[in-house]
Amino acid sequence: MTAEINFEDFKPRVDAIEEAFQQKWERFRYFVLEPDRPEFAEGLNSFGPEGISLLEKAKSALTQAKEFQTEMLGRKSRLSALRKEIRNVAAADRGVAGQAMTRLELQMSQPLEIVETHLNHFIGTILTRQEALDVTLPGWRPRRGHLHPITLVRERIEDIFVSLGYAIEDGREIETDFYNFTALNIPDNHPARASQDTFYTSDGFALRSQTSTVQIHAMQRRGAPLRMIAPGRVFRRDTPDPTHNPMFFQVEGLCVDRGITMAHLKGTVAEFLRRMFGAQTVTRFRPSYFPFTEPSAEFDFSCFKCGGSGCRICKNSGWIELGGSGMVHPNVLRGAGVDPEEFSGFAFGLGIDRMVALMYGLDDIRLLFENDVRFLRQFD
Amino acid sequence: MLISYNWLRELTGTVLTPLELRERLTMVGLAIDAIDELEGDSILDVEVPSNRPDCLSHIGIAREVSVIEKSKLQIPTSKVTKTEGRAADHAQVEIHAPDLCPRYAARIVRGVKIAPSPDWLVKRLAEIGQRAINNVADITNYVLHELGQPLHAFDLARLTDHQIVVRRARAGEKLQTLDDVERKLDPDVLVIADATRPVALAGIMGGLESEISQTTTDVLVESAYFNPDSVRGTARKLGMDTEASRRFERGADCANVLQAQTRCVELICEIAGGVATDDAIDIYPQPLPARSVEFRPARVESLTSLRVEPGEMQRILAALGFVETPSASPTVREGSQAAGASTFVVPSWRSDVGLEEDLIEEIARHAGFDKIDSELPPSNMAGEYQPVEIKRRDLRRALRSLGFDEAINFSFIDNAHDEQFALLPGLTTVSESAAERLVTLQNPILDEATRMRPTLLPGLLQAVRHNLNYGTRDISLFELGRVFATFKQGELPVEREALALVATGGALTEGRVQAEREFDFFQLKGALEAAVDAMGLGPLTFSSAAIAHLRPGQSAAIFLDDETPLGSIGRLSESLAQPYKFRQPVYLAEIDLSSLLESRGRPLQYAPLPRYPAVVRDVTLLVGRDVTFAELKQAIAAAEIADYAGVVLVGVYEGSNIPEAKRSVTFRVEYRAPERTLRDEEVEERQRKLIDLLLRKFAAELH
Repeated sequence: MTAEINFEDFKPRVDAIEEAFQQKWERFRYFVLEPDRPEFAEGLNSFGPEGISLLEKAKSALTQAKEFQTEMLGRKSRLSALRKEIRNVAAADRGVAGQAMTRLELQMSQPLEIVETHLNHFIGTILTRQEALDVTLPGWRPRRGHLHPITLVRERIEDIFVSLGYAIEDGREIETDFYNFTALNIPDNHPARASQDTFYTSDGFALRSQTSTVQIHAMQRRGAPLRMIAPGRVFRRDTPDPTHNPMFFQVEGLCVDRGITMAHLKGTVAEFLRRMFGAQTVTRFRPSYFPFTEPSAEFDFSCFKCGGSGCRICKNSGWIELGGSGMVHPNVLRGAGVDPEEFSGFAFGLGIDRMVALMYGLDDIRLLFENDVRFLRQFD
Repeated sequence: MLISYNWLRELTGTVLTPLELRERLTMVGLAIDAIDELEGDSILDVEVPSNRPDCLSHIGIAREVSVIEKSKLQIPTSKVTKTEGRAADHAQVEIHAPDLCPRYAARIVRGVKIAPSPDWLVKRLAEIGQRAINNVADITNYVLHELGQPLHAFDLARLTDHQIVVRRARAGEKLQTLDDVERKLDPDVLVIADATRPVALAGIMGGLESEISQTTTDVLVESAYFNPDSVRGTARKLGMDTEASRRFERGADCANVLQAQTRCVELICEIAGGVATDDAIDIYPQPLPARSVEFRPARVESLTSLRVEPGEMQRILAALGFVETPSASPTVREGSQAAGASTFVVPSWRSDVGLEEDLIEEIARHAGFDKIDSELPPSNMAGEYQPVEIKRRDLRRALRSLGFDEAINFSFIDNAHDEQFALLPGLTTVSESAAERLVTLQNPILDEATRMRPTLLPGLLQAVRHNLNYGTRDISLFELGRVFATFKQGELPVEREALALVATGGALTEGRVQAEREFDFFQLKGALEAAVDAMGLGPLTFSSAAIAHLRPGQSAAIFLDDETPLGSIGRLSESLAQPYKFRQPVYLAEIDLSSLLESRGRPLQYAPLPRYPAVVRDVTLLVGRDVTFAELKQAIAAAEIADYAGVVLVGVYEGSNIPEAKRSVTFRVEYRAPERTLRDEEVEERQRKLIDLLLRKFAAELH
């Protein structure tokens, strides 16, 4: 059994630890200060050669602070060894010795904890600053493509008519004379049949000059009642210029039922144009002539740009001419197997290309088929 | 058609201003394009619908105005005061082609003095864009614009034997027309001839030799009705379009022949002097029958929803010249009498009217289209997209999100492309000759574009060239469109819908100039697969194939997994890249979208999630370059290794450290047992078995 020691013998050993602490502490004392104080950075100078960054010095200081802490307070420290000896202190002095040791422990551990916190904070601040991004740089956004404006307008038209109860139909682009003309009540001698106006293949078939051909097929296949639209490519022998192309897109609509009147034609076209060009749009019907409708009407709508007061788009008339329409000619109904005494119907047609030109302010429709990406990329 | 406001006022006594007339005429179907304000008169430019030749005259427009204003039309009454002798004593007329000329009337005025027209006549013609020539010629022109009947004046002295013969031209005959052009004639052309030679193109233009001149004293005034198709055919063939032909080819008024002639003769006597014959020689062997139309007033409302008073209907029809007849025609449908049906005789100038619906239109346009209600039809049908339409939308949007811009090209292309491209499987026909196999236009509008395109690729390549010219080097485009081929002469061509993609340069990132990576074969393949997948269709399979327009070794045929051939994909061949002057690789794909859309979609079906984890093993094999990944994959799947659950590619390496004829392929094999976790040694054993098999089958080495 070891002999008991009293406090007088114990204290110098405590003091010796404190002295050792104080010697090394000298280098760390700056870091008790707030990290934004200039002395804090100055204190880092002893933690690395000149030329290395503050961040490196701070990291080195942090490492050394941790080592210092382990040396002074760790399991293998002199303090730890001394603590094991406290049971050898005489019982009367043991309390005082314990207090002295606890005080020393706090005296060392508290500032070192502060130092570590401050160094961590200091390092964090530098890293945050260094890793700051220019958030206005472009994101990694794959370039998406663009749909053709004709597709965009066609789909919008389709959506409107599907919501009004219409089916979408499509048919052949090269047609027989019968479907392109005869079934549409276009007489044999009509100028539209002439080869100035209609393309013919060497076998004598016609490139459809209107999508009304689809109406005939649809009536023959589905019978009446029927509501359909037929969007698609059509061909007319026009030399390309800013307002003409030998190929363009058209949509034709057909509604056949019992009791259909011109009021329904007007209501349908007006509703369509309101949805297309806005609720304020006014539609006007003028008598006209088409072989496949009787009575026939052209329709205009109030200029969406000026609202009717007159501007460049409407050529100062306040109205924009858009398409043709009418009550389906009884010969057309009969030819497609529908009894005109039982059923009546209306039909209308308009150029999608023209709508594209109007809606996007396009002044030369040849651009539609040039496929210049500088043009295409302006659309959705 | 130019209409003088003053002239119109003489015929109608209209109280409407030119601007009011513009509005009112437009709303009855005669749109006024423009009003030209002249000193003391306004000229209305009327857009006359092609079915209304009667409105190609002041009297025709005046009739519409009188209906609008409920006023009385003041038709000029003609009375020739001084006459002498019978026309037949001075000339003979024969019609040898009554099918092409149902009626011909000739009247003679002797002792005229040819001179410039009086000022009022010159001015009036000038206002409506007509050039004055001499008094007699100007009067015929004046009456044409007044009454709509084309007239012609011959110098009687120049007509051999004073004879008029209306006949088909003989082969080889020629005629110098008034515009000083020598016309070669053939038997399809109807001419007015004298005893020996043609003197006028019937209904189109007179001849130079029989023209009225300063020395003319006796004039033969022609007023006739020619068959519209005949006049149209000849005018088209000879490339002519005259005031006369424009009216005859749409249909003149056969009943107005004598009245217009009388008016003309009256004015000649008044202005140019001379004495007219008492009568005209009027050859009209088979008068055209008057048409009549049955009319049920109730139909007006049932077709237009307009409620028009019966009296107002009567007024409109009567003012337009329709005459109600008390006796119903024998063809009247049963029961229609009870519905208050009546029958109207159509005026001779309204060649466009033949049905009840036509009469309904007459009433509706004068009652006012603006009076018609506007309402949606009762809603009793469901709208529908075609199922393929939805898929097309999915396809377009998928391609858009993959960076492709949508192109649309003309459907006709240059025949120089005939042999350049491999066509889609659905268009491959047996015929060797491009002219028989492809669809050719008889009458192209662009000289070079004579074929209906059998492939979308030439258009897209042209678009690539266009964009490169304008400095865009990173281009990816797609197009959806029909392609065409003839399978059997005389039958409708085959139409298929095709999808084509073209890509060159690199895949761009928005806002950055440098492409992340250059396009290659696999990028385009991946884009196509992703787009097809977005439609819920596919998967596609690819196999190396020689394709006419693609570079060997970088070209593949595309199939559906049931082996339906769909199209091709690959890099554009050098020989095609050269004419386009492409200096960067261009990748192309084209597939038969019709076939793809007809294919069955992938069924969506839930599969239970695996309960035990899979174990994976990577293996790298050194194989010959002729061994494809597809073959390896297939061999692995067919090896029937227990608990095999799938294989995926890790990577492929070719190049240094590898023999030239070899390729290193690394793939990951997955094993999973349904009811337990596999032990390591079990997996090792399965993997070893698989590798042994592959090494043997493909003469491969472990790498």
